[in-house]
Amino acid sequence: MDIFLQAAAHALTPPAVAAVALGAFVGLIFGSIPGLTFTVALALALPITFSMDPVPAIGLLLGTYIGGMTGGSVSAILLGIPGTPSAAATVIDGYPMTKRGEASIALGTAVIASVFGGIFSLIVMIVSVDLVSRLAIGFGPAEIFALVLFGMSTICGLCGDSLIKGLISGVLGLMIMTIGIDAIDGVPRMTFGSINLLQGVNLLVAMIGLFAVPFIIEAFSDRSATRDETKGVANARAELPSPRMMVRNLWLMVRCSVLGTGIGAIPGTGGAIAAFLAYDHVKRFSKKPKTPFGKGNIEGVIAPESANNAVTGGTLIPLLSLGIPGDPATAIVLAGLMIHGITPGPALFMNHAGEVYSMYVAVVIAYVWVLGLQLIGIRIFVHVLKIPRDLLAVVVLVLCAIGAYSIRNSAFDIYAMGVIGVLAYVLVAIRVPITPIILGMVLGPTLENEFRTAMMLSGGSADIFLTSPTALFFFALALLVIGLQAASELKLKRKSRDKVETSDA
Amino acid sequence: MTSRIQETVLGVSLLVLAGCWIWLVIDTIPPGFGDGEIGPRAFPLSFGVILLALTVLFLLRLILRRNADPNGDAAVDAETPAVDRPSWLTALTVLGEIALYGYLLEKMGFLLATPAIVLLAMFLSLRVRSVPKLLGMSLGLTVGCWLIFEKVLGIHLANGIWVNLG
Repeated sequence: MDIFLQAAAHALTPPAVAAVALGAFVGLIFGSIPGLTFTVALALALPITFSMDPVPAIGLLLGTYIGGMTGGSVSAILLGIPGTPSAAATVIDGYPMTKRGEASIALGTAVIASVFGGIFSLIVMIVSVDLVSRLAIGFGPAEIFALVLFGMSTICGLCGDSLIKGLISGVLGLMIMTIGIDAIDGVPRMTFGSINLLQGVNLLVAMIGLFAVPFIIEAFSDRSATRDETKGVANARAELPSPRMMVRNLWLMVRCSVLGTGIGAIPGTGGAIAAFLAYDHVKRFSKKPKTPFGKGNIEGVIAPESANNAVTGGTLIPLLSLGIPGDPATAIVLAGLMIHGITPGPALFMNHAGEVYSMYVAVVIAYVWVLGLQLIGIRIFVHVLKIPRDLLAVVVLVLCAIGAYSIRNSAFDIYAMGVIGVLAYVLVAIRVPITPIILGMVLGPTLENEFRTAMMLSGGSADIFLTSPTALFFFALALLVIGLQAASELKLKRKSRDKVETSDA
Repeated sequence: MTSRIQETVLGVSLLVLAGCWIWLVIDTIPPGFGDGEIGPRAFPLSFGVILLALTVLFLLRLILRRNADPNGDAAVDAETPAVDRPSWLTALTVLGEIALYGYLLEKMGFLLATPAIVLLAMFLSLRVRSVPKLLGMSLGLTVGCWLIFEKVLGIHLANGIWVNLG
C-alpha cells in the first residue's frame, strides 16, 4: 500500500499530470484526423521524453496512446470517416446518428463507453495480469489464425441485405492486402514492377479512400440536395447522453470491455478486430432494437467503442508481464519504458513496482482528462457540422491528402487513396457494402501470416489446427456464426415470400 | 441503368477481375519451396478462386431470379434511392483533382499545391465565383494547415522538386 501511495504521489505531481494531459490532447487531435494515427503521435512524442523523468515520460506516452484511441471516433461519428482503423466499426451506426441530428449524443456516448472500457480493462489488468498473460501467451500461430478466422466470420453480420455481395466485398479486401512484398518469403506479389507497389496498399490510405472520397464526391455531386439533407445535421444541439441510457447499457459495456481486454491481451490482434467482434456481438444478441443496426442504433456505438478502448488495458498485460508489444503503438511505449531503464518482463513488478503503479494512475488520469476534454469539446465538435457540406468536403480533401501523404511521405498514397475512393463510391452506388472490405484488409495479413507460420511449425501438417482446443473452439464459433447468419437469411427470405403470396392472394 | 443491368455489369466485371487475378497470380508469383511450406502464391490464388466462385454464384442467382420474375426490374428500380444513381462526372472530376494534387505536391510543395487545388475544386466542382470566398478559402486553409501541421504538430508536409517554399 505504501508503494502504491508513493507511486500515486509521483503520478499526481504537476509535471506528470501536465505530461499526461498534453499527451492525451495531442493523441486526441492525431486520432481524430484520418491518416494521422496515434502511432505517428507516439513516434513524435518519444524523443521529447528522453530528457524527462520516468513517470512524466511514460505518462506522456500513455496519454498519447489513450487520447488517440478515443479520438478516432470523433471523425467517424461526425463525418463518417474513421480517424483510426479501430473506429471503423463506429461509423456504421455513429454516422447515421449524426445524419439524424444526434451527433452530440453519439459523441458523448462514445467517449463514456471508451472511458468505461479503458478503465475496466485497467482494473482487469491489475487484478489478473499473471493469469491473463499466461493464457494469452498460449496463443500460438494456429490459435491466432483461428481467432482471426472467427473475426472474419463477422463479415456475415456486416453484409447488409445481400450475403453474397458482403462476402465478395470481404474477399476484395483480402485480395488488396496481398499486393506488395510477401512478409514471409520476400517475394513481390501483383506489383507489376512498380517500386511504389512493393510496399503494398497501406491500410490507412485505403480506409481514407473508402470513407472520405465517397463523402467528397457526394458533397460535390448534388449540392442542393446535400444542403437540404444537412439542414437537420447542422441543427444538431450539444446534448449529452442521459445517465439512464448509459446505465441501461452497462451490461453491454461490461461484455464488450471483457471482449476487448481479452483480444488486446493477444499480441498481433488489436482494436479493429475487437471493435468488429463487439459490433457483431451486439447486433446478434440485441433484443428487438427500436432503431435497426446500421441506421443509427446507439448500441452500435457503445459496443465497438467500449471494446476498442478496452484493448488499451489488454495490450498492457503482455507488454508489462512479458515485454511483448501487441501492436506498433505499444512497441513505441515499450521503447519509452526501456529508454528510462524500465525493462518489462517477469521481474518488472519486483524491480520497478513504483513506476508500474504510477503507470496505472497515469492511465486513469488520461481517461478522466479525455472524458472531460471530449464532453466539453462536444460543443465545439458539433459546430463542424454547421460548416456547409460542400465547403467541408474541400477541407476534408486537403486533410485526407495530408494524412495519406504523411504516412510514408509518398504522393503514390494520394493516388491510391483517390482510386480506391472512386471504386468505393461505385460499390456504394451499386449497393455493395464497403465495411467488409475494411475487415478483410484489417484481418487479411494476420490471417495469412499466422496460417503460414503455423504450417511451417508443423512441417506442413494441418494437425496443428486440429489438436489445439483453443483453435477448435474458435473454428466452432466461426461455423456457428456463419450457420446462424445463413439460417436468419433463409428465414427472412421465406417470410418475404410468404408476404408476397399473401398479398397476391 | 436499371438495377438488374447494374448487377449484371458488376457480376461480369468481377468475373473478369477474378479471371485476370488468377491468371496473373499463377503467371507471376512463384509457388512454395515444397516440404509442406505454404508459398507466397497460395493465399492470393485462394482469394481469386473464392472470388470467382462467389461471382458465379451471384450471376447464377441473378439468372434464376430473372427467370422466376421477368418483370421484377421496375419494382426494384422504384425502390432504388437517389444516392444509388452515381454521378460519374463528379467522381471522375474528384479523381482528377486528387491525382493532380498528388502530382503538384511532389512538384511544387504543399504551400503552392494546396491553394491551387482548393481554387480548382471550388471553381470547377462547387462553381464558386466569388473572388473573396475563393481567395479566403484557399489561402486560409493552406496557411491554417501549414501552421497546425508543420509548425505545431511537427508533421512533415510535402516539399516541391520544382519550387520549394519550405
